Amino acid sequence: MSNLSKLFGGSSTTDPRKEGLPLFGLWGGSGDQNTQMNYRVFDSNFRVVSSPWAAVTSTTSNYRFGMLSDGSHAYAMNDHGTDFHSDLTTQGYSSWTNYQKSIYQVDQYPHCFHYTVSREGFPTWQSYHQFTSSFEYQVGWTKLNMVLPEGVRPRRTFTNRRHTMREFMGNSDCNCDYYNYSSHLVDPAVYNYATGTGYNEKNKMLVMIHSGDEGGNTSKSIHIFKSSVDLNATTRIKDFFDNLEWTEYFTDTWTNQNNKDWCVVVGNNCWVGFGLKQSNSKRYGVFDCNQKGVGVDTTGASRQWSTWQDFAGSTTTSYGATQGHQYYTKFQTTWDGTWGMIYSPYYYYGCGINAFAMSLENPRKFININQTKSSRVNPYIAWGRTGFHGGKSDNCDSEVWQTYAFAFDPKDSDHTVDTRVYKGSTSGEGAMPDNNSLVGGDFTNKTGVCSLDAMRTGLHGGTQTTNYPMLMGVNWWGSYGNADASYGGK
Amino acid sequence: MATYYFNNKGEPATPFTVSGEEMVLKGRGIKAIAPDGIEAWRLSYNLVTKVVDVAYEGLSEEDAIAKKLEDGTAEAAATLQAEKDKRAVEEAE
Repeated sequence: MSNLSKLFGGSSTTDPRKEGLPLFGLWGGSGDQNTQMNYRVFDSNFRVVSSPWAAVTSTTSNYRFGMLSDGSHAYAMNDHGTDFHSDLTTQGYSSWTNYQKSIYQVDQYPHCFHYTVSREGFPTWQSYHQFTSSFEYQVGWTKLNMVLPEGVRPRRTFTNRRHTMREFMGNSDCNCDYYNYSSHLVDPAVYNYATGTGYNEKNKMLVMIHSGDEGGNTSKSIHIFKSSVDLNATTRIKDFFDNLEWTEYFTDTWTNQNNKDWCVVVGNNCWVGFGLKQSNSKRYGVFDCNQKGVGVDTTGASRQWSTWQDFAGSTTTSYGATQGHQYYTKFQTTWDGTWGMIYSPYYYYGCGINAFAMSLENPRKFININQTKSSRVNPYIAWGRTGFHGGKSDNCDSEVWQTYAFAFDPKDSDHTVDTRVYKGSTSGEGAMPDNNSLVGGDFTNKTGVCSLDAMRTGLHGGTQTTNYPMLMGVNWWGSYGNADASYGGK
Repeated sequence: MATYYFNNKGEPATPFTVSGEEMVLKGRGIKAIAPDGIEAWRLSYNLVTKVVDVAYEGLSEEDAIAKKLEDGTAEAAATLQAEKDKRAVEEAE
């Protein structure tokens, strides 16, 4: 493929999938979501990048205006909802106009749970008429957790259920590829239910869990497939399996409340993290999936590093796949693909966060991330080079919009030393103190709990006017390079 | 009664000794005594009185949730009404 760097004699090429630093949408509206409302897309430096779209109204009965007035992209006259101020105690996915601010809305895939948002700033509410049976809500848990190169999000949607991998177009309900890999399974004990799959593009390695059922069965068979071709570059899924270099497995018995919650994180060093929401808490364990040889190390005990870690932060009642398959545990990565997190809400249907954040170079390096907001929240999204933010402001009336922001060191992958987390502050003096202290902290591997702090962004909600902001995921962050306002030279 | 660890803003951080003691040791947390049987979302450490406060004290979890929803609905309605009243005054001027 020809590109500019080749034309100008450059020695390296940029992956055409590579995006600029993360963007986010910010929806703002008055208390009735009607009298005043607007929507903008910002970059990771909090600079607006979208175009205005004539969001003007002065009536109290017309929720459609500007580009939102297009009836063919709307289900109801107020798709965007009229209540962004709910506390998500009872508002699950079927209360979708309230639920849009749930932590469940955004994962590593570019599409979101209840909507899709373009870089230009046009939000579209999807699954208008049958949202209770669409792809994401029912079987989104079958999507592969991807570890990808810098700036790349999954552009193809592969799923795994039973002994079959499929490809879908985005989060539509239509198959575009199918492959039954039963003949490649090497564990003599056949478990029929694939319940968690991870892929590492650098290693071309696919790791999948098979269980005795899609509920609470604890029997596990873990297969490791190492191919010579990249799954994301194949024309058909079959091509990946036709070019396997080696396949190994191990078996174990793992405690789990619901198998649909399993997330599989395949590290660049071939150690693999397995994590899930477990009742109100979570569990995370790491296993060596490097090549051992046929019939070698086929038990979990022979491959496990240290012990399973229960979530060490604060927990309260919160919901996962046991309460509904759409509430499966989520996975997300930083823009540069060096850190990831397996996460679920702290509170009921999507407030706060309970997460294991792990190095994607070495999943044995991980800490606990904790934030205990119990009402009126927002999701978390990738932010900047090596961080995440979200979850804070619920009303910007006379306030600067704030997020819980945190960032990691992209070179930090040694699990024998503490993990450094950079944080923000709600004041300039807090963020840039008149001393030499670290704004953030160093956390003990495995048991350390990082309690998040809020950061002021500089985006102002406007004085004396109720403003309930909604943070939204954006489906394309723009091509990587100096045309991006966030481009920092790397 | 049981030990619970809070962050320096008084928010619940962890019930676990190893993680909590690290927070205290590194100046990131406060060790306190909290009542048994209360979900963490209702707990906060009062930085002034130096004791653990319990939201909706005396209520069961179910009743506390119901009261929280009731309070939230009332607050949102009051905010919206205040906004409408303010707008009406501005339009009349």
